[in-house]
Amino acid sequence: MRAYRALARATARSALTYRLNLLLGLGTVFVQLVALLAVWRVILAQSSVNGFTWPQMRVYLLVAFAAGTVVSAFGDFRMAFRILDGDVALDLVKPVDYQKARFAETIGGLWIEVLLIGVVVGVTLAVTGGVRTPAGPALALFVVSMLLLVPLKFLIVYGSTLLCFWTQNFIGVQWARLAVMNLLSGALIPLAYLPGWLATVAQWSPFAGLTSTPALIFLGRVDVRHGLTLVAVQLGWVLLLWFGARLMWRAGLRRLTVNGG
Amino acid sequence: MRTARLYLRLLGAHFRALLEYEADFLILALATVLMQVVNLVFLAALFARVPVLNGWTFWSMVLMFGTVTLAEGVGSLFFEGMWNLAWQINRGELDYFLVRPYPVALQSSSAAVGINGLSNIVVGGLMIGTGLAHVDVVWTPWRVALGVLLLISSVVIKLSISLATNAASFWLSSPTPLFAFAMHQVGDLARFPLSIYPMALKAVLGVALPFAFISFFPVAYLLDTGQSRWVGLLTPLVAAYCAGTAAFIFKRGLRRYESAGN
Repeated sequence: MRAYRALARATARSALTYRLNLLLGLGTVFVQLVALLAVWRVILAQSSVNGFTWPQMRVYLLVAFAAGTVVSAFGDFRMAFRILDGDVALDLVKPVDYQKARFAETIGGLWIEVLLIGVVVGVTLAVTGGVRTPAGPALALFVVSMLLLVPLKFLIVYGSTLLCFWTQNFIGVQWARLAVMNLLSGALIPLAYLPGWLATVAQWSPFAGLTSTPALIFLGRVDVRHGLTLVAVQLGWVLLLWFGARLMWRAGLRRLTVNGG
Repeated sequence: MRTARLYLRLLGAHFRALLEYEADFLILALATVLMQVVNLVFLAALFARVPVLNGWTFWSMVLMFGTVTLAEGVGSLFFEGMWNLAWQINRGELDYFLVRPYPVALQSSSAAVGINGLSNIVVGGLMIGTGLAHVDVVWTPWRVALGVLLLISSVVIKLSISLATNAASFWLSSPTPLFAFAMHQVGDLARFPLSIYPMALKAVLGVALPFAFISFFPVAYLLDTGQSRWVGLLTPLVAAYCAGTAAFIFKRGLRRYESAGN
């Protein structure tokens, strides 16, 4: 446990040292927030669309921003390059579990990300007006959903980075992952706007838990009972992906070739 | 002429190297196509519920996204090396460029090929093509010529902003083009009609970093959409101004260059 705590602290320190890189990595998410806020402000100025009003859409986009911000201190780039150039061999001899170690690093950077989210959410709400928080049970469910979001996003990023054992190319895999995540999580546009079949696929995919589920619960667009189902789906995916990633890691190691010594 | 021929030869060397990695090319191509498909699904889903956004319809938005995609594609395929400038400065690699009888900026920008640019050019071209087929513009020879001129100007503006922001590395001396990348991200705001943004952002995207002239203003002029359409006619002038400024900044930066030593 001490080793994992040390890893977590090290990530936070490195994130603070390279803070410009961290902020820049969040640039895309932030730009998307600004652009979509502007788009929906114009569209929803006249009337609500699909049952979304402007105050609701604002909250929705802020949840999407928060979801896009967490887990960004996790060095998926570093992990990918260590796999690609063989440095991962050094990780293999360390007496810690690889997946747990990477998860510890993710947790380590979390508090910095939460601070950033707090600033952006605070400023946005100060500029565009307050927000109505849901009643107790829904709020509790929202918090649980946001907490589950962290391991869920970590596992999706981690799993797609493990693909480097097979593809020898990281950028392409990362771009594809970002595009799919953006659409199927509902971060780009709420799933209710997508064509029926695509919305259904997205709803049951692991990605819905990355924005749609917590946002809909917060907005009260799903009742608590339906919300419980959605959170259960989130939890199911976390468990499935956790063990799935372990299988992938084992299969990937068998393909690993490291030259030189 | 000789400059252009040599440029293609310089690029060709990197291109041949890339062809060795077929799977890489396929993954990058698929990923970029997927990104554009997601953009289109987003636009389609949005405009299925709302007919217009400040006077912009689905197809005119596709046209705008297509122009940006094409301009970025040309940048990646032919001028990707610009994004290595920070690294080249930091490592002192410009020493080699400076002793060769060929423009330094062109040697730098030809130092890499972004093969994903190829798929972006194709997809961007398709988006522009289908977009144009679905909007009613009366095409006269003069209008076609103007359209081509505007498109070329858009690409020049995109390239100039990339060169100018990357040339900032001469002053910033970081090994990665953080500043240029941040500005590129800001430019993504200009995928949407400028009229939806508050005044400060309009000033940034229209004047300080004229990303809005890559797609918004020229397309607005061509399709006769929104207010102050005539601004689109300024696009070639803005392109000339951007190219001049970028060349000036690069030249001033190059004067500051000091080798990394041996």
